Amino acid sequence: MKPPLGRTLLRLFTVQGSWNYERMQGVGVGVAEEPLLRDLAVSRSAAAYRAAVARAAHFFNAHPYLCGMAVGAAARAEHDGTPPDQVERLRTALCGPLGSLGDRLVWAGWLPLNSGLALVGVSLGLGWWTVVGFLALYNAGHVALRWWALRAGWARGMRVAEALRQPVLQRAAAVVGPGMALAMGAALPLAAGYLGGPFPGWARALVAGVAGVGLVLLRLPRLGVTGLRFGLGVVAMALVVGWAWR
Amino acid sequence: MSIKLFRIDDRLIHGQVVVGWGQPLHVGFIVLVDDAVRASPVEQELYRMGVPPHIDVIFASLAEAVAQLPEWDADPRPGIVLAGDIATLAALTENCHRVTRINVGGIHARPGRSERLRFVFLSDAEVEQLQRLAARGVEVTAQDVPTARPVPLAEFT
Repeated sequence: MKPPLGRTLLRLFTVQGSWNYERMQGVGVGVAEEPLLRDLAVSRSAAAYRAAVARAAHFFNAHPYLCGMAVGAAARAEHDGTPPDQVERLRTALCGPLGSLGDRLVWAGWLPLNSGLALVGVSLGLGWWTVVGFLALYNAGHVALRWWALRAGWARGMRVAEALRQPVLQRAAAVVGPGMALAMGAALPLAAGYLGGPFPGWARALVAGVAGVGLVLLRLPRLGVTGLRFGLGVVAMALVVGWAWR
Repeated sequence: MSIKLFRIDDRLIHGQVVVGWGQPLHVGFIVLVDDAVRASPVEQELYRMGVPPHIDVIFASLAEAVAQLPEWDADPRPGIVLAGDIATLAALTENCHRVTRINVGGIHARPGRSERLRFVFLSDAEVEQLQRLAARGVEVTAQDVPTARPVPLAEFT
């Protein structure tokens, strides 16, 4: 029988929907894994199927785009007749590497890389096409990553570490970081020029000065200034000044 | 003291340990005390993958940890000792008087456990284990990441 990987992929899009402190992504992972476990009810017994689904819904937390690898690997291990405690230990062991790999690849790589490119696009006057391009490129990347992760897990089961060792993955992690830095480095001056364009020279100089002060304050951790607090403070001050000036 | 943190966390090695604690403490090594992981090369490989290459990962059984703790403590690099359950760290503490503080970093829901903090679920027997540790003079606090407040044992049991 052809494994219902497509159905599992669709369910993986909802994996964060039932996030909670008790099981984190566990319930979402169980829901996604269920189609792959269904034929255990035929090949073994209804009780075996139910026990496997319950195990699949235990505590789990990793990167949402990569948890398909744990779903595939655990489902394959269940089909291979791996002892339940080993399946659970595999799931636990996968949380760390899938979390840190996903953080590096996506949150610190693919997402800011695409955001940087979008900022460049808007600043260069490409308008709405930038939004279309961003959505197409970003989504193509993460859907491909989800699909690859699920299939790699399903193909290898308990030997899933082999998939994580693949050179292409290491290369991607090595390329996407500097790529992100390049895109953001290009985006910052372009976006600043685009946003500051309509303002008179003295206002632009003032904003640059405030940004400079902010940078210095953020470098002094003892002051407890964060980017968010500083930004909100500046906005509040600008509102007060603008109101008084009228 | 080279061991900067004795931590109980049932997720074992993950981001909070490696980045959350590893970076501010500048750790050079992490000791994972777990008999099952010690016996499983597959799990060891996965746990090692989540750790950057400049941090050594040592997999030890409880017996090995009891024997080698003084050696790790003499290491010039700061380190973290990590176990997945209270019993393991309690046994380590009993056999070694160097453990004076224990960090409860994450014990998650299981049948029989109830919620004490968002990241700490304990059965009554586990509460007793922690209280026995505290009665022996070990300072037990719950704290998932260094930027959070360490919650004293009395506040979550």
